[in-house]
Amino acid sequence: MSDIDIKRISYLAKLKLPHEKEEFYANSLKDIIKWVDNLKMIDTSETEPLHNVTEKTVSIRKDEINKSNSVDDVLSNAPERAQNFFKVPKVVE
Amino acid sequence: MGNNWEMVIGLEVHAQLNTSSKLFSSSPNQFGSEPNENVNFIDSGMPGMLPVMNFACIEMAIKTGFALNFKINKYSVFERKNYFYPDLPQGYQISQFEFPILTEGFINIDNEGNQKKIRIERAHLEQDAGKSIHDIDPKFSFIDLNRVGTPLLEIVSYPDLSSAEEVVSYMSSLRQVLMYIDVCDGNMQEGSLRADVNLSVRKKGGELGTRCEIKNLNSFKFIRQAIEYEFKRQVDVIESGGKIEQNTMLFDTSTGETRAMRSKEFSHDYRYFPDPDLLPVNLTQDQIDKVKTSVGELPQAKLDKFIKDYNVDKDIAKIITVEKQNAILFEKMISETDVKPKFIAAWLVGDIFAFIKENNLEVSSLNEKTKEITDLLKLVSDDVISNKAGKEILPKVLNGQGKPSDIVKELGLEQVSDSGELEKIIDEALVGEEENISKFQGGSDRVLGYFVGKCLKATKGKGNPKLINKILLERLKN
Repeated sequence: MSDIDIKRISYLAKLKLPHEKEEFYANSLKDIIKWVDNLKMIDTSETEPLHNVTEKTVSIRKDEINKSNSVDDVLSNAPERAQNFFKVPKVVE
Repeated sequence: MGNNWEMVIGLEVHAQLNTSSKLFSSSPNQFGSEPNENVNFIDSGMPGMLPVMNFACIEMAIKTGFALNFKINKYSVFERKNYFYPDLPQGYQISQFEFPILTEGFINIDNEGNQKKIRIERAHLEQDAGKSIHDIDPKFSFIDLNRVGTPLLEIVSYPDLSSAEEVVSYMSSLRQVLMYIDVCDGNMQEGSLRADVNLSVRKKGGELGTRCEIKNLNSFKFIRQAIEYEFKRQVDVIESGGKIEQNTMLFDTSTGETRAMRSKEFSHDYRYFPDPDLLPVNLTQDQIDKVKTSVGELPQAKLDKFIKDYNVDKDIAKIITVEKQNAILFEKMISETDVKPKFIAAWLVGDIFAFIKENNLEVSSLNEKTKEITDLLKLVSDDVISNKAGKEILPKVLNGQGKPSDIVKELGLEQVSDSGELEKIIDEALVGEEENISKFQGGSDRVLGYFVGKCLKATKGKGNPKLINKILLERLKN
């Protein structure tokens, strides 16, 4: 099993881990992966990948407009609002 | 800089599909609305809301598949591409990854008269993100989610392109086809069509170099500038002993330079996985066949037809086929008159397009006036009125100021094509011109022009110049 880059994982998960906890979480994750790796015992070389357990196809709709929510509905949960925009801390890449 | 370097370019083109509603929600797919006007709880990523596929998007993808020679896959899968950004409220973009709807297509482009086949690796459906506005407030970004969920078809070429000209030619051919089959409005300024350019350099015929990706170019001018700048930058780095790092670049339109946005080290880790909210797409042959009939005639076929069947000059035929609306107008006119298509074509790309441009009109707005236009062109081609008079009347006809024949009568522009009358005028004009006549007979062609002018003046400009020419020559030679 490959080593776990706990710093990268916490960055991707947007979690700030205290330095002294890093090893603890890395080991926990390793245990989880080890457990999931039990699946590798099964030979799947003859099995097609399955993307969904139902054999059905995606449900579709007609190309029609239905305005179900107003601007005020949509912005009602916004932490901050400026006119009709969401207002968020500046994120510039 | 040595000239033994060449560039290798692949393009990712994002085409906005011109549906009424979005890819997975019934909100309007519309540009230019008030902020957050076209947003519902699905688009804004509220918990528990479920996406439902807009089948028109699948149909448009299939149509593109036929037009760009793709293999159309009956089985395709929507996956989640995870990244965190405020204008992507779900925290992931729904896209296709391992199983795209279209694979292995191609398009032929025209490169300075030569045809080149550009292979296309894949095309897949995905959602667009919203817009962040950074320049209203120094500390905050403002988010408009109107564009969230807009259906995009991402078309990914192989690295078969090797110059800025080829890229522009590829992009404009693609744009033309997508507009012909009516899946994208092609409006680059509004972002309906935009490209990411992947560029690397190598010694001619050598190993492929490390590539950089320039994001989000939305005009032919910027594409050309970005490619030329990035090519030079990469060659300079290598020639001064450096190494190209695999970077994502931004093109600064104000300076014409590219700069690194993020390096590979900080590249996103998208962690794709099949979206559990969406079942795989399983198309039937019947669903695919049904779309085939709606593809219609493609630009290349139209161009060939105009040149071969209608005898139109290649350059003029190209101008007409650039946009589908032009071709529709042209073919409508041909079907309504016995005036030669070549003659109509010349007027179309000349005075008619000039009128459209001057008055800021849509080409399609003339579809209701084709009868009047062809009536006028018939008068010109039958020599009832002169070319010059035709040009004068055209704007009046297009402005709806009456039937061409009425306007001609009203303005007294009918040509004198009665040879008896013209002969009389010519004979009068030749009286006392013995000196000039002998000059002509001595070989001075210039004198002929003088005589034609004199006769035309005598007819107040209404004499048929062709006929005047003919009769004059007969008279002068005897």
